[in-house]
Amino acid sequence: MLKVGLRAKPSTAFRPLAVRGFIKTIPQPPGNIVGTVNDAYVPPPPHKLHGSLHWTSERVVAIGLAPFIMTPFVTGTSYPLVDSIMGTLLLYHCYVGFESCIIDYIPLRVYGIWHKAAIGLLGFGTLVAGYGVYIIETTEKEGLVGVMKKLWKA
Amino acid sequence: MFKSIIRSRGMATQATAQRLKTFKIYRWSPDTPDKKPYMQEYKIDLNQCGPMVLDAIIKIKNEQDATLTFRRSCREGICGSCAMNIGGQNTLACLCKIDQDTSKETKIYPLPHMYIVRDLVPDLTHFYKQYKSIQPYLQTKSKPADGKENLQSEEDRKKLDGLYECILCACCSTSCPSYWWNQQEYLGPAVLMQAYRWLVDSRDEATKSRKEMLQNSMSLYRCHTIMNCARTCPKGLNPGKAIAEIKKQLAFD
Repeated sequence: MLKVGLRAKPSTAFRPLAVRGFIKTIPQPPGNIVGTVNDAYVPPPPHKLHGSLHWTSERVVAIGLAPFIMTPFVTGTSYPLVDSIMGTLLLYHCYVGFESCIIDYIPLRVYGIWHKAAIGLLGFGTLVAGYGVYIIETTEKEGLVGVMKKLWKA
Repeated sequence: MFKSIIRSRGMATQATAQRLKTFKIYRWSPDTPDKKPYMQEYKIDLNQCGPMVLDAIIKIKNEQDATLTFRRSCREGICGSCAMNIGGQNTLACLCKIDQDTSKETKIYPLPHMYIVRDLVPDLTHFYKQYKSIQPYLQTKSKPADGKENLQSEEDRKKLDGLYECILCACCSTSCPSYWWNQQEYLGPAVLMQAYRWLVDSRDEATKSRKEMLQNSMSLYRCHTIMNCARTCPKGLNPGKAIAEIKKQLAFD
């Protein structure tokens, strides 16, 4: 443990609750400096599924969702195929959104295993939600749109 | 004749009343690490001071408190040394006019969410390390045809306008919430705009490796188009647009 300057007496007063004991975080290098001050920053290894493909699919789904959400407003009812495609895309859209939040606020670099746990929990939740969408699509009369209609009137 | 003008002007300034403006400045010294950072108040007579915030803090350092520490160099917005948070906005002290309303105090903080060396001096080591990682220099595989210059058409040169003017003051990067949370891995708007500056340069031939470097979830894609960068840039540049252009270039790569 460093005993100079900034790190001499870490104050506990301002650290978030999670850091104070319940969750062990990975200590970060002082000043975020890895290696010497003259080494360049080293990016994570390239992986298109995490990079451009991920981004592109995110945008394509977000834009693709728009007509599926508009359709029932225009027609006043829903078609099983349109509804189930909407359900699937919406599920992916939500998954990607929450995944982004986890990467932002529970980063692997700081939280290590907790990051993986959060991603795993999100994956599990998505599967359960996917099963729910399947149940709704097969049992509800008008699928997801029907559920929304009921909630609107309730 | 000149003497009389100088005298009369000197008289005029003395005759006008003092206009005391309060500045509250963030202080922290590594010599006393146990002492928490605090805001110190200084009063400046605006009639005796230049128009910019940098003039005021130089005046404070000269006349009131020599221990006040900050970076400054060119005093005309071309070196980027005096980047700080003035009245809640990241900007260059030398380009920021003092609010002439003396009833309001002006608060000056160092660039937000950075490690502080002392007072208004942030530690930009990591920022420069990130800049180094994008290899901000021309890379060519072949020698120029005439053996002297790498030529470029006027249209290609125009693509660099709005990118090359960046002075790396770090105002934009440190105003970006995404950079606050993940600055260790996310490159931030300033560095990404320079990455784009080299991606669009028609003379550069390392585009492939430059693009590959950004192909991960952290370096580039932590940008959520919050656009604080474009709002705060003291040079009026638009890093957010440059990042969007990189994303477009990479989209079907």
